Amino acid sequence: MTTVTMTVNGKSVTANVDPRTLLSQFVRENLRLTGTHVGCDTSQCGACVVHVDGRAVKSCTTLAVSCDGSSVTTIEGLAVDGALHPMQEAFREHHGLQCGFCTPGMIMSAVDIVNRKGNALDEHTIREELEGNICRCTGYHNIVKAVEAGARAMAPGATSIAAE
Amino acid sequence: MAMTMNGEAVLPAPRDTVWAKLNDPEVLKACIPGCQSLEMTSETEFVAVAKVKVGPVSATFKGRVQLLDLDPPNGYRIQGEGEGGVAGFAKGGAKVSLEEVPEGTKLTYDVEATIGGKLAQLGGRLINGVAKKMADEFFGNFAKAVNPEIAVV
Amino acid sequence: MTTTGIGAPVRRKEDFRFITGQGRYTDDIERPGQAHAYFLRSPHAHANIRSIDVSAARAMPGVVGVLTGEDLAKDGVGGLICGWMIHSKDGSPMKAGAHPALAVGKVRYVGDHVAVVIAETLAAAKDAAEAIVVDYETLAPVVDMNAAVKPGAPVIHDVASDNVVYDWHLGDKAATEAAFAKAKHVAKIDLVNNRLVPNPMETRAAIGEYDAGTEGYTLYTTSQNPHVARLVLSAFIGIAPEHKLRVIAPDVGGGFGSKIFIYAEETVCVWAAKKVGRPVKWTSDRTEAFLSDAHGRDHITHAELALDERGKMLAMRVKTKANLGAYLSTFSSCVPTYLYAPLLSGQYDIPAIYCEVEGIYTNTAPVDAYRGAGRPEATFVVERIVEVAARELGQDPAAFRRKNFVRKFPHQTPVIMAYDTGDYAASLDKALELIDYKNIGKRKRESARAGKLRGIGFSAYIEACGIAPSAAVGSLGAGVGLWESAEVRVNPVGTVEVLTGSHSHGQGHETTFAQLVCERLGIPIDQVAIVHGDTDKVQFGMGTYGSRSGAVGMSALSKALDKVIAKAKKVAAYALEASDADIEFKDGRFSVAGTDKSLAFGEVALQAYIAHKFSGQDLEPGLKEGAFYDPTNFTFPSGVHICELEIDPDTGVTKIDRWVAVDDFGIVINPMIVEGQVHGGIAQGVGQALLEGAHYDETGQLVTASYMDYCMPRADDLPSFTVGATVTPCPSNPLGIKGCGEAGAIAAPPAVINALTDALGHEDVTMPATPQVVWRAARKAALRAAAE
Ligand code: FES
Ligand code: FES
Repeated sequence: MTTVTMTVNGKSVTANVDPRTLLSQFVRENLRLTGTHVGCDTSQCGACVVHVDGRAVKSCTTLAVSCDGSSVTTIEGLAVDGALHPMQEAFREHHGLQCGFCTPGMIMSAVDIVNRKGNALDEHTIREELEGNICRCTGYHNIVKAVEAGARAMAPGATSIAAE
Repeated sequence: MAMTMNGEAVLPAPRDTVWAKLNDPEVLKACIPGCQSLEMTSETEFVAVAKVKVGPVSATFKGRVQLLDLDPPNGYRIQGEGEGGVAGFAKGGAKVSLEEVPEGTKLTYDVEATIGGKLAQLGGRLINGVAKKMADEFFGNFAKAVNPEIAVV
Repeated sequence: MTTTGIGAPVRRKEDFRFITGQGRYTDDIERPGQAHAYFLRSPHAHANIRSIDVSAARAMPGVVGVLTGEDLAKDGVGGLICGWMIHSKDGSPMKAGAHPALAVGKVRYVGDHVAVVIAETLAAAKDAAEAIVVDYETLAPVVDMNAAVKPGAPVIHDVASDNVVYDWHLGDKAATEAAFAKAKHVAKIDLVNNRLVPNPMETRAAIGEYDAGTEGYTLYTTSQNPHVARLVLSAFIGIAPEHKLRVIAPDVGGGFGSKIFIYAEETVCVWAAKKVGRPVKWTSDRTEAFLSDAHGRDHITHAELALDERGKMLAMRVKTKANLGAYLSTFSSCVPTYLYAPLLSGQYDIPAIYCEVEGIYTNTAPVDAYRGAGRPEATFVVERIVEVAARELGQDPAAFRRKNFVRKFPHQTPVIMAYDTGDYAASLDKALELIDYKNIGKRKRESARAGKLRGIGFSAYIEACGIAPSAAVGSLGAGVGLWESAEVRVNPVGTVEVLTGSHSHGQGHETTFAQLVCERLGIPIDQVAIVHGDTDKVQFGMGTYGSRSGAVGMSALSKALDKVIAKAKKVAAYALEASDADIEFKDGRFSVAGTDKSLAFGEVALQAYIAHKFSGQDLEPGLKEGAFYDPTNFTFPSGVHICELEIDPDTGVTKIDRWVAVDDFGIVINPMIVEGQVHGGIAQGVGQALLEGAHYDETGQLVTASYMDYCMPRADDLPSFTVGATVTPCPSNPLGIKGCGEAGAIAAPPAVINALTDALGHEDVTMPATPQVVWRAARKAALRAAAE
């Protein structure tokens, strides 16, 4: 057992874990934050994406101990003070989800794409950047629209999605 | 899922020595990568336990191995079947022949094997590489065993 | 149209919990004291089990129990069943081999369940599984259908010594032969409909629980139809009587058919919960899902189409081999028979059709319904052979289709179905316009100048949805009726709970069902809650598959709402001191005709519960009504999809450039959700055509058992889609709904392949048309063109 301490969604957590514990297991089982999903065992679906120190990572292939001292944000921590994040709003507004299983990973990846690529994203860029996330329900059409709109809404001073 | 592999190695030792070592359980045990135990159950049969890792799958194989078509000192067939529990199974055989060459003895091997279970599902695309690596490792070890003076071929 | 009523693109009520990570899927649930199950699966495709020694595993740390098929048998737990009886041509019943939840004596595919280990943690269960010693006597496997039916092939089930489950047919053979004898032209085609793995992103999972005090079981499971699961587990498998078994299907992360069936794992979890005295949880990992979820498709077909001198269709004959895998899954038998052959008339007026289907056992995972179930296979046959015929006759494929369309309704096909309504030409015209068919020649020339090959492919599909009239399916062999139920509970303050037997696993029922309630009762959508997926709350229902929730489930809701309104009018009459006949209900208010006296819906609901105004009268208090709706016909959604793509002949890479879908789903409740269903369906169909294929090697190992080897469509494999609609309301249900869930998956594969073969100078390609397949075909086409 190893002790890890990290900040998850703004709260400091310390736990004793088996060193093999994956970050996905840690958030789901130890912290009961079950919004982070596991959709594969070969690191290919992206359902498990969370942010570690502001960057998207696949939590199914990240060891919890490697995040010692880090700040982790899961889908549960994206909305601040009850106000949905613009990317969350955009997924709802543009029907970017059906069964919702891929959605947390999609949203976390999408926010990361905007952080890296800016607020004006074209369809081609979005499709390429979403390469690591599989959705079986939506055919991606509305996810692409949602990411595009969410990216715009994340720009400083942008109006909210619902008001568009 | 079937796989085949063949190759040869030139060993710096006379053929009789190579043949003797090929039939020596202690030598085999020392040379087989990951081998944890090897016990003769008869002149030509033994049971072995070996730990193998193929990509994301690691398994402990327990298997029965038989030596067939013994033709000293020209070669034999080695055939076996191992169950790796939840990782699956491997079975197959190799024809091993020895030939005298100026540098010592040339050993030629021809392997045919099938694997199944998780090994095939997740390791299938890696298996050939892993098998080749294990063969290289075996012969590297074996070369040292037949002639401790000389490192590798 | 109100902003939340029928036809409005209402944003989904369920989304909040999903976008904030608060969905509650089976694996998110943790029961006090739960233990974890791990299934030891066969690594062999075909083997006798000489013995299973679990003693070492039982002694491992953390192990709560290790159970095998023998334990199941000792407890009298029955095998898994196939609920649809198919009879062969000679009248004999299909040959269903025994299907124990844990193998007894023999394993028949890689992934077959051998034993279950239940332990404190999953890791401990896995470690203990390593210690189970199974002595297998391996047998020769057979994975290829043609090989399986050859004399001397390995026998998978003793009851089917030739590996043939059934040899079935439909249609008038003599009439078909006679029409072929008169034909001026016969088009022929050989097709393989590739085997697919459904792959909902949430893998299957189950938690079984037993309460010794009440002697009641609870099963949390990833199911599209929890009541059917309870029925099968109770009545056939014999776990517990229905009143002692509660099945809950919470949020379910996609199904696509694969979560209809009753599998070994949930059966074992719920049974084992009592045996070990702990809740037992199992969650499939992805590789297990590949091995053990029911697969889809897997047909080999030869088809012929007879035509007269002008290109009018005279008759069609089809011979199909369908791979059913190693065991008959819950509905597998009906998929390549009654969900397939009755669709072979497509949108066309074909006077005679004869279809023969052999269902075949192989040492592969069971095959059952996957999005479209039989109808994509049928549409692939029809739309490929129609395309081939048009090309052979030198006719424009659009014009050729139009000439042969059914135009008069109702139309009785020669294969059971009576099409009720449609306007196929309207969909075709609209699709041609949206894709700018006029200028396709120009676009092809432009591509050619850039060294690319451009092709256009049509698919005019029809499907039979809204399954289905209970008597009709009963006469065809179904073990159940396919009606649906709904109950409307109006609370004293006027809020409404709808209990439906449909199940939503992505379809958005919490929104669409609520829209119907808003439309009819005139109350705000946030005052409506939809309850589904729990057998303790909803009395009974048949679940969601076959695009039936709108056409059948919402029709049941519509009937229940009629009853609520009728009763509420009576309550209002007492409250307003008027006669029933004078009460009008509009926009959420009950009023007395010709007066300004009125009450809001909520006020009437309150009156119904306080019952002061009609106490002692012939009216019961309360406001709660239920209805069962049994459809009178299938519904027949139809449409035209056109795919336009470009091939790089140097690399074989295919890029879909345009996709137009014009569908006629009848009346649409929420166009946003319907379009989403179309998008998702197309993506799965494109996946089948270009990317996906489940492949067993000759030793029966599944070599495409992870996302490394099974290619799922990703965002950059697909274009954005242009979705249009035409509307002919369905006459057979009260709402005019036809259903939309499977259309894309049905329409897409032939559209893609027709486009590819158009680009490749009619050179045939197999699915999945990977870059390698396309590159080879492009080379062949180039060589042939050079030789000509
Ligand atoms: S669960 Fe992490 S990539 Fe699939
Ligand atoms: S919404 Fe179901 S997998 Fe994406």
